[in-house]
Parts: sequence; structure tokens; C-alpha cells
Amino acid sequence: MAPHKDTLFRSADMSLTQLYIANEIGREVVSALGELGIMAFRDLNSETSAFQRTFTQEIRRLDNVERQLRYFQQQMEKSNIPMRSLYEFDNNLAAPSASEIDELADRSHALEQRIQSLNDSYETLKKRETELTEWRWVLREAGGFFDRARGQTEEIRQSIEEDDAPLLRDVEQHGQNGEPTGDRSFSVMNIGFVAGVIPRERIAAFERILWRTLRGNLYMNQSEIPEPIINPENNEEINKNVFVIFAHGKEIINKIRKISESLGADIYNVDENSELRRDQIQEVNTRLGDLANVLGNTKRTLDAELTQIGRSLAAWMIIIKKEKAVYQTLNRFSYDQQRKTLIAEAWCPTNSLGLIKSTLQDVNDRAGLSVPTIVNQIKTSKTPPTYVKTNKFTLGFQTIIDAYGTAKYTEVNPGLPTIVTFPFLFAVMFGDFGHGFIMTCAAVAMIYFEKPLSRGKQDELFSMAFFGRYIMLMMGIFSMYTGLIYCDAFSKELALFPSMWEVPDFKANETVEFIRKEGYTYPFGMDWRWHDTENDLLFSNSYKMKLSILLGWAHMTYSLCLSYINARHFKSPIDIFANFIPGMVFFQSIFGYLVFTIIYKWSIDWYAIGKSPPGLLNMLIYMFLQPGTVEEELYPGQAGVQVFLLLAAVVCVPIMLFLKPFYLRWEHNRARAMGYRGIGENTHVSTLDDDDEEPQGMNGNNHRQSMGSDEGGALITQDIGGGDGDEHEEFEFSEVMIHQVIHTIEFCLNCVSHTASYLRLWALSLAHQQLSIVLWSMTLANAFSFTGATGVFAIFFFFVVWFFLTIAVLVVMEGTSAMLHSLRLHWVEAMSKHFIGEGVPFEPFSFETMLEEEMAELK
Amino acid sequence: MANGWSLLIGLLFIVVFSAVSWFASPKGDNQTVWRSTLILSAWSCYLMWAITFLAQWHPLIAPKRSDLRPEFVHHEGPRFF
Repeated sequence: MAPHKDTLFRSADMSLTQLYIANEIGREVVSALGELGIMAFRDLNSETSAFQRTFTQEIRRLDNVERQLRYFQQQMEKSNIPMRSLYEFDNNLAAPSASEIDELADRSHALEQRIQSLNDSYETLKKRETELTEWRWVLREAGGFFDRARGQTEEIRQSIEEDDAPLLRDVEQHGQNGEPTGDRSFSVMNIGFVAGVIPRERIAAFERILWRTLRGNLYMNQSEIPEPIINPENNEEINKNVFVIFAHGKEIINKIRKISESLGADIYNVDENSELRRDQIQEVNTRLGDLANVLGNTKRTLDAELTQIGRSLAAWMIIIKKEKAVYQTLNRFSYDQQRKTLIAEAWCPTNSLGLIKSTLQDVNDRAGLSVPTIVNQIKTSKTPPTYVKTNKFTLGFQTIIDAYGTAKYTEVNPGLPTIVTFPFLFAVMFGDFGHGFIMTCAAVAMIYFEKPLSRGKQDELFSMAFFGRYIMLMMGIFSMYTGLIYCDAFSKELALFPSMWEVPDFKANETVEFIRKEGYTYPFGMDWRWHDTENDLLFSNSYKMKLSILLGWAHMTYSLCLSYINARHFKSPIDIFANFIPGMVFFQSIFGYLVFTIIYKWSIDWYAIGKSPPGLLNMLIYMFLQPGTVEEELYPGQAGVQVFLLLAAVVCVPIMLFLKPFYLRWEHNRARAMGYRGIGENTHVSTLDDDDEEPQGMNGNNHRQSMGSDEGGALITQDIGGGDGDEHEEFEFSEVMIHQVIHTIEFCLNCVSHTASYLRLWALSLAHQQLSIVLWSMTLANAFSFTGATGVFAIFFFFVVWFFLTIAVLVVMEGTSAMLHSLRLHWVEAMSKHFIGEGVPFEPFSFETMLEEEMAELK
Repeated sequence: MANGWSLLIGLLFIVVFSAVSWFASPKGDNQTVWRSTLILSAWSCYLMWAITFLAQWHPLIAPKRSDLRPEFVHHEGPRFF
């Protein structure tokens, strides 16, 4: 057991464990460990494909059940049947027994068949109904055409007989006999017709094609069906038109039929005789009535069935998903044929070993097995995964860090200070009491309604804000604080204390310069008398610029110190002497000195001692350009101090450049001289050596082979040899040198550019303040100039505009931009000072995280 | 009421606050988070306050306005405390 607790300060101590599990209780053990969710199983069969593994059959069966359950879900969505929510099952994390799973599989199979047959018959019936409905429309609409056409037959006939093609007509008259729908009056004239229904959007194309292929030899009538027709296959509504086309000759009629069918029209039989047609309509109506009856019954049965399923579908889904995950994990184990045991390797936090052992003991006791499950800790030289235990408060902040990179195993976790520094730097840019208050309220509301909100469906933007609700809370609180410091609430001043400035007597339209109260400084934040003055920006820019530099210096110094803690933790004193100390001296002798002069200049009453205050910017520039000369003296002995600091900084550069590479070379040579050699250099005989150089999958490879052939006993000792695995890589001086040169150049340049980068704190807070002043003066300030009843309405109207713009622009938009800038300051400016990275994230086998990822659709 | 000594008094207050938060943080898994968050917050806030205070301690310029009307100016100004 490790002596210290797992904290957020650094990632948890991990152990590689080996489990020997009796084959009979493999499923139960893995299921219990899945509930715990603190073990990451390594794949010991990475060379076998998914189909060759031990439990492929089971997984396939479960896949099938899962598919059936998804089918039920689809059907329920299609007929709008609500599913009982996941959260109504009180015990939804209980592990199922094997017989429960079998039962469930049988049940869902039977149910699937029943639903499918019901569905099939329902769909056939529905299709029939649609057809009948369409036919009814055709009969109804076509009747109108026929009645109209009949009145015109005489004219048509005359116009035809005037035509000089009587012979042709005689010939075609014989061919017309086959057309059953033709009526006497038309058939006399040799005119046939086609009636049917076509989707409305195709009608234009249909007309054009007909016109072109038949060269205009047709007479087409159409009318729109007023109500949309529902397609039974996908429940979509389609608008359709009824058409009747009259044309001359059998060939042409056939052509029309073909064209209309190819365009998706449905052709229906219509009798030209109006009495026959009436009969047809009546028949169709009765058939429709019958169909509706049957349909209703089928639908009711189907719905009842689905409702029944819906009561427990969510629970079934969970059970199946868990079961599948269990078998997928079991597939990562290797199976010892002779001893009928499963052998697993897993990373787990060392502090949780006791919990794991007791859980396994419980499973064993419940199964009543005499063979215990053995948990074996193995020593290994493999890099353990980085596991930072979070709770719902720290999760958001840790995610910010993890988004940049996974910390190296047990290095200082920047997530811990980020809890404060991230929202604080945000607040420096977002400083406004009112806006901070709005943000705090939003965050508090999200935290208060945490449960209902997390269960509901969320859109992308909201789910992001909801995920970061605790970050927002901290940001809001700190923004209120910085708002008080800046003395801004919705761009107005907050007069908390008596001002340090007094207004002297003056005449109207005269520029007044306020007078300082003797010996009194405004105790908290900016003096509110600065608001709306002419030289407000002159003062606040100088103040905020220096504030940014000071905060940036503090943040970077803090981050640099973390690299010292890292070096101590990893026991590499060379990193302290060759990187941390010269780096710190370099940084402090330039920027620490700048900070000192800023504070020194503030603390001197320059007018009282009768000197003019020196410019700090020029001082810093001349410190480099002309060391040793000081034009405006800040304090006595300044020139000497500056020369000394400059020398100190310059001396640090070669130390950083050369000390570490040469020290490493000396150390390496000494080890060589004493006869030590790196393991990787000479041995390619044993199976142990490639552990460090090859990816994890290959490691599993070795174990697997040894397991297949050797006895299990070899396994235990297998990894012990690789305990001192740090020196496995061959020492290459040039590589180390290049690395160090890059590091040094980067560090020195970054000191300058990163300090400048913190000026964004000033720029964004200035922009935020000015924007809120503009918003106020463009909206509410105008409203106050109205009087009387208009004033009431104007104030109301402008207030609404002002309020919504405040939320949308100043809080949401400006907040997002300030947040991104704060994010950058952490990722680039702070983390570059100490963060090593290169870690492997810990991904434990956990039902909880698996369900969270997969069950989003069940919400 | 407030002068140069305020900085030191504030510093003392923050040191005491840090010490109290170190020892009074609730024990358990989250003790580190409590300690770090409280102490870092206190120092950040102190830093910000102290910088603002310093900037106004010996101001080099005084606020100027030309849009004031003598009849509306209360020479003391409004205040809450």
C-alpha cells in the first residue's frame, strides 16, 4: 500500500496486476470489476483477430439481441410510443445472471418475430389502403373529366372528320378492341385513355415527356388531390395529382402507360360509363371501411405490444450492453487450457488494490468456489498510465488540461492550480460586477438543477456550458471580485467608499481637476471618481498594463516553480541545476527586475520629493542597449544593479545550453568505464528486452506466446528483470545537445514573448469595459432623455434591448473570447514552463463510462 | 483611513487566512483541492487588490472633467459605507 493518498496534485500510483480467475466465474468477476471501474485490462491477444477469440460466439449472440432491441426502439419511435426513462429503474446497475441473459435473448427473439409479422401485415394493409384511396380519387376526379369530355365529343369528332385521314382511322379501329376502359362514344372515335395518380412534383416533367414523345398527340387532364397521400413505407406525406390522358391509338396508349409507370405514377382502372363508375366508387368505399377496421385492430395490437416492451426496453439495453462489454473484456484475457483458468493483466491504482481484492473475494464467496481468484502485483518497467481521480467539480478543469496533453505519470498535475488561475485570469479580462453576477446566477442555476438537466436532451452549445458549469461558477465569482476592483457594474461606477478625490469649487463649463485628499488612498479597487472623466483611459491603461505584467510574472514564476517540484520528484538534480536555476535567474533578472521597478515606482511619492518620475519602458530598453548608463534615475546605484542583473542573465544562457548535455555524457561515460551496458544494446536473445522499445500491443505478444507454451509459473517472474528501465535508450550526445539547444533558445525567447502575451489581459479588459460603456450610452442613456408617458415606454423598450444585448454580446460572446484567451495563457504561457506530457491516459473498464457514452440515445 | 500600512495589514490577513485554510480544510479525498483552491484564490485576490491600491497610492495624474455643473456636485459624493 502506498503511504500517501491519491490527490489531484499528481496522478495516482499505478500497479500492473495479474489476475488468475477460474474459468467458471470469469464472467462474474469481470462484471464486478466493471462496476468498480478502476482497472484497465491490457489486451493479451492483440495478434489474434476479432473472429478468432474465445468468446466471439457469445458476442455475436449479444450483438443479435442488441440489434433486436434497437429494432424495437425504432418501431417505437416510428409509432411515437414513449419509452420508460432509464432513470426510473431503481436498480439499473445490477449485474445480470447468465440465465437472465438467456431468457432475455429468447424473449427478444420471440418478440421480434411477433412485431415483425404485425408490422408486415400492417404495412401491407396500409399499402392496400393507400391504393384504394388513390383509386377513389381517380374515380371521383376522372368522372368530372368524362362528363366534360362527353359534351365535347361532337366537336372533337367533327374536327377529326374534317381531317383528311379517314383511311388511317379505319385501320386503327380494329386495333382498338383490346382497350377495356374505352367507352362506346370514345371507341367510336378510336380514342383511348389512361387514368392514374402521380406525385405532384413530377407532373411538369411528365407532361413534357409525353408531349415530346407523342409529338402533341394527346389530350391531358389533371387535377390536384386536396389532401396529401401518406406513403406507408416511410410515413411521409406526398401531394399527388390525378391525371387522365386521352390519346389516339393503342400503340400510343401503351406508350403512355409505360411512360407513366416509369415516372412513378400508379394507373387505375376507370370505367367511362358513369353508372359503372358509381358502382366502383361504392365498392371502393366499402372496402376502405373494412380495411380501416382491420388496420385499427392491427395497429392497436402493435401499439400494445410495443408499449409493453417500452416499459423495460431501457433496462434490457443496459443489461445487454454490459454483457457485451464483459465478453469483449474477457476476450482480452488469455486462457490456460490445462488449468482452466483465465489470466488477465490490468493496470489499477495501487491504493485500490485492497478494494479490488475484497470485491473478488465477494464474487468467489457468492459463487461458492473453493479456488480463489489470485491477484498478483508485477514489477514492470513499462510506463504506467496517468490516472487523475476527479470529481464533478474538478472534472471540468482537468478536462482543460487533458485537452492539451496527458501529463507524464506522477508529474505535477497543472489541473490543480488551474481551478483558480483559469477563472481568475478570465475574470481579469471579464471584470464587471454585473456581468459576473449574471454568469454566477446561470452557473448556480445549472448546478441547482443538475439532475433534471443532465437527464434531459441537450443541444451542443448548452451541453458545453453545462459541462463547464463549475468553471462558470468560479469565473462568475471571480468576475464579480474583479468587477469590484475595476469599480464597474454594467459599466457604471460603484461608490463603495468615500472617494480619494474632492471636487474643488468651479464655474460651469470649466474643466475641473479633482484634488487629492491628503493622506487617504481609496481602500478597495479603483476610485469611482475616475468614471466618465476625460483622462480616465490614460490612468486605467497604465494601471491595467502594469497589472497584466505583474499577474503574468506571478503566474509564470509559479509555473516555473512546478518544474522544480517535477525535477525533485523524478530525482534528476541535473534538471534543477542546469534548467530550473539558470532559467529562474534569467527570468527574474529581467522580468523580476521589471516587476520590482514597477512596484518601486508606485510606492514613491515623486511629487513630494520633487523629482520627475522616470519612464520604465525606456529604462528597460537602455538596460540592454547601453548597460551602465541611466538617464533618469529611479533609485541610487541603479546602474550597477542593472549591469549585474544583465550579466547574471547572460551567464545563465551558456549554463543552460551546455551543463546538462555534458553532464549526461560524463555520467554515461563513467557508467561505461565501470562496465555497465544498456540492456538494449547487446541482448536480442531474451524476450524481456523489447518491452520498452515496442508499443504495448507487442508486449502482450510476448506474454501470450510464453503462456501458450510455458507453464503459468514463468509468467510471474517475467517482468521482474526490467526494473531499472530508464537507461534502455542508447545515449546519443548529439541528440541530447540539439534538444537542449532548442529548449534554451525557446525558453529565453519565450520569457520575452510570453510576458508580452499577458498584455492580452489589459487589451481584453479594456475592450470589455469600453464595449459595455458604448452599449449603455447607445441604449439606456438615450431612454433617460425622454419625459412623460413616452419616457416610460422608451425606458422599457431600451431596457429590453440593453438587457438582451448585454447577455448576448457582453456575457456570452465576450465571455467566450475571454475564456479562450485564458485557455491560451494556460496552455502556452504557463504549461510550457513545466509540463512534460507524454503520458498515456488511463482508460479503465467501467460500466459507468461505457453506458454514459452509449446511452445518450436513451435519454 | 487607508494608507501604506494597509498593504502590510492585508498581507498579514492573507497569511493568516492561508494558514487557517491549510489546517481547517475538510479532511478526505478533496483536502488538497480545498487547500490549493482557497490559498491560491486568496493570494490572487490579494495580488489584484494590492496592485490596484499601489497604482492609486501616489497617483501621477488626477481625474479631470469638464461636463460637471456646479449645482449638482456634492463634494463628498455618494457612498455606501
